[in-house]
Amino acid sequence: MMLEMLDYPFMQRAFIAGIMIAILASLGGSFIVLRRYSLLSETLAHVSLVGVAIGLLLGTMPLYGAVATSLIAAWLIEYLRSSHGLYSDSILAIFLSGSLALAIMIVSISGSFNASLFSYLFGSILSVSREDLVLIGVFGTISTVLLLLFFKELYFIAFDEDVAKAGGIKVQWLNYMLVSIIAVIIALSIRIVGTLLIGALMVIPVVSAIKFEMGFFKTVLISIAIALISVIIGLAASYIFSIPSGASIVLCLLVIFIFSMIINRR
Amino acid sequence: MPLNLYPAIFEAKNLNFKKRDLTILENVSLQIQRGDYCGIIGPNGGGKTTLIRLLLGLETPTSGAISLFGIPIEQFKAWNKIGYVPQRSALIDSAFPATVREVVAMGRYAKRGLFRPESAEDRKRIDEAMVLMGVEDLRSRLIGHLSGGQRQRVMIARALASTPQVLIVDEPNTGVDVESQHRFYELLRILHKTKNVCIIFITHDIGVIAEDITRLFFVNQTLLTSTTPSEMLRCDEMSRLYGNPSHLVCHGH
Repeated sequence: MMLEMLDYPFMQRAFIAGIMIAILASLGGSFIVLRRYSLLSETLAHVSLVGVAIGLLLGTMPLYGAVATSLIAAWLIEYLRSSHGLYSDSILAIFLSGSLALAIMIVSISGSFNASLFSYLFGSILSVSREDLVLIGVFGTISTVLLLLFFKELYFIAFDEDVAKAGGIKVQWLNYMLVSIIAVIIALSIRIVGTLLIGALMVIPVVSAIKFEMGFFKTVLISIAIALISVIIGLAASYIFSIPSGASIVLCLLVIFIFSMIINRR
Repeated sequence: MPLNLYPAIFEAKNLNFKKRDLTILENVSLQIQRGDYCGIIGPNGGGKTTLIRLLLGLETPTSGAISLFGIPIEQFKAWNKIGYVPQRSALIDSAFPATVREVVAMGRYAKRGLFRPESAEDRKRIDEAMVLMGVEDLRSRLIGHLSGGQRQRVMIARALASTPQVLIVDEPNTGVDVESQHRFYELLRILHKTKNVCIIFITHDIGVIAEDITRLFFVNQTLLTSTTPSEMLRCDEMSRLYGNPSHLVCHGH
């Protein structure tokens, strides 16, 4: 059955997109979890729903709207955090609830609460189009290259922002780059995992990997492996049991998280 | 008076710094030269840490000018010449996934630049810094699993990995046992005497480094005095600056 499902083009596209997203989400998630900024992914996911709603309302490609709105929100959040001295979690809470309210308003006005919106909320293996795959491929490759290129600098900032800045690292520029990449990863992931569940794909693999008590580079590798396993099993389960792919992926992640807690308990 | 052939490591002219209309530092001017071992003392909230953050470019002064190695701070690029160990740096999140080796290697990041993997020179400097601070046996341990004294040594090793010409340590002994503190002062003395590293030490407890320092700054909103330690450490002078009868205790180390 596993091999049979790969005969279908929609499953091939779902697996290719899922594997790219698993690598991206866990790689980007490593930096935000270590900076105690996990709620950023959840917030930007809700913000991207505004873009999806606008896209559905205007009849354009919702993924473009999701990328645009989450990018703008990411820059605003970083600006408010770094320049106005506001508490990060408060800013995130404002954006999270505010954007959800706005999305619901747009959807209600347009009367477009349908199966299409449902797939953006919880993910769907049927919904990954060839155009989505190209978009995920292009933006995903750029994001991966940037994360790998600035890997050591982002790690240093996550560990000690002040000392990194005193060491001549362009902290402000890199912070904006990181939130932009996170925004793009989230917007690209909503086809597979859905806006309500993408936060889990960024956070749970990293938190599970941290329980293995390794250095940073090994922790990142373990979190990528956990994300890949969860996405592959989750997509297969979605095909076999006809359930939303986002839900099955997140449930796989939770099982691995509990397993990592048990085998690494002290 | 000795002639200085090199520009001052740090030079500040008429520095002022305000935050939300509150004056933190006012009209501070100072020079720190190569070979100096400086102590910066002053009461809590007097602006010691702010002064260092201004000199490192972590804060922007409201007015005034700063130069590093003779170059205006806005144009200064050679940040690897400066090692910085901030306040409370030994208090690390115990779950943070970083080995001692990874933390010390961060000291080389600014020097390496983009596209460059770790070179043989990087590895040599990282190993040297770990040996000097006596943490080479801990290289694979997670930083969060170490004691306060061990973490402190790792942080200094990270600062030394960039082979700095100046090392700034800000109240470094928070959460560190007495034995580790004594070992730490000894290491600073070695760095200053044998490696010719300029040391800038911010502390409340000036008695512990009184025998080593060559210059002493007293900061309390402004730079009240900059002098040689023997002159300043007179009890009547300390009493005048702190505003209470003061008695200096020199710790043996």
